[in-house]
Amino acid sequence: MHRHSSIYCFVPPHILKNIALNGTQRQKNLAIDTLKISAQMRGQRQALADFAPATFRVAVGGKDRVIYDAKNGSNLPGIVVRKEGEAPSADVAVNEAYDGSGITYDLYSDVYQRNSIDGNGMRLDSTVHYRQSYDNAFWNGEQMVYGDGDEDLPPNERLFNRFTIAIDIIGHELTHGVTQFEAKLQYFQQPGALNESMSDVFGSLVKQYQLQHLASEADWIIGAGLFTENVNGVGIRSMKAPGTAYNDDVLGKDPQPGHMRDYVNTLEDNGGVHINSGIPNRAFYVTAVELGGFAWEKAGRIWYVTLKDKLTATSNFQACANLTFTTAGELFGAGSIEQLAVKKGWSEVGLTVGTEPQPGGCLPAALRLMGIR
Amino acid sequence: MDVERIRFERTGGFAGLKIAKELKLNDLPDDQARRLQELLDDMDFDELPGQMKGKESMPDQFTYVITVKTKKGEHTVVTGDASAPEKMQELLQLLNRLARTRKKQS
Repeated sequence: MHRHSSIYCFVPPHILKNIALNGTQRQKNLAIDTLKISAQMRGQRQALADFAPATFRVAVGGKDRVIYDAKNGSNLPGIVVRKEGEAPSADVAVNEAYDGSGITYDLYSDVYQRNSIDGNGMRLDSTVHYRQSYDNAFWNGEQMVYGDGDEDLPPNERLFNRFTIAIDIIGHELTHGVTQFEAKLQYFQQPGALNESMSDVFGSLVKQYQLQHLASEADWIIGAGLFTENVNGVGIRSMKAPGTAYNDDVLGKDPQPGHMRDYVNTLEDNGGVHINSGIPNRAFYVTAVELGGFAWEKAGRIWYVTLKDKLTATSNFQACANLTFTTAGELFGAGSIEQLAVKKGWSEVGLTVGTEPQPGGCLPAALRLMGIR
Repeated sequence: MDVERIRFERTGGFAGLKIAKELKLNDLPDDQARRLQELLDDMDFDELPGQMKGKESMPDQFTYVITVKTKKGEHTVVTGDASAPEKMQELLQLLNRLARTRKKQS
């Protein structure tokens, strides 16, 4: 991204947004650049979320990926190294980011009829080789960013491989984008943990979709392959058994709870968003395994519709439980095995939804009780 | 600013792993201690605002809490990947590295 010496640097963001939406093309470009730069500096992504689909990208109606290389610096997005349709690079991280964002696009498009992150063909930008020894990946409000792990440490001290190595991490980051355009779950406490959980759910589904794994044969591990062999662990998180992904001398033990009775109250990590996500993660796992088959088909659809149409910025776990239950009823019928599977999923983590459907006779009353009709 | 100790804490990130360590400059190799002192002086660390973090947290970014202790007192700055100014990048990288090596610190 080139930097204008912008005339808009002192203009308030709400006015910049108006310029971006209504100005001449040149004014738009300047205003958008200024908003992007200031948002990047301040860490405010709401300014971008409000109008990004209309102005940042041209909808081209299909999969459109661009991979950038930050060359171990911190300027985003870096230089273009591979565009849609171009041949593979000699750089494995570039190809992983390209292929992983492609399969993520395919899952959303083929299964949920969603055209990219914003539903409107938004280009999928990814930057690899971000900074030196950066053991992280994130979504910055408009693109995915991946570090190389701790490649500068001596081999016997390394803990992390490159962050493109696990396709579910790529699906995880892209789903933060989807959430930004849909439920806009605030990144704090329970709504933040739901935001994280949605990213783990669809990240895992991307991997299962790639491997064509049934719910019963999937590993339900987030970030398998990310740890080096120096770490005693199978991955970063386990959706099946939260709290068991690693137990290591250096990293300590996986702190995730899998039940409301073990909910962790903390102000760190934005109120434990990467910790308490274990609870809704397990609810999804139980629902998916209960239903059998491919997890993206039924459990995934229920969660996707809930994310897209039901959840709001401040939804908590109980609200998500209620809304997935309602959605399952709308999609598959009240009292359907799908709806009962959702109920069981949340029940296993200590959250109660709905009431037992009465066998015969009083279906309308039961439906009213469940708030469905 | 005559730095005696630096407490570094990193939370959040995709993996949600916390790193926290207190570094005593006297215990570090001379070149690293000198570089830390230079970096902190160059950015006028003690003049920086305590909160350098955007109101909205971006998914999976790290949060850093840096406390620098001198004879005169201590100063803490909270920042994040997106909000940390460019001049702070080398400091973050160096502290990161010093804080997470496997070597046991006394």
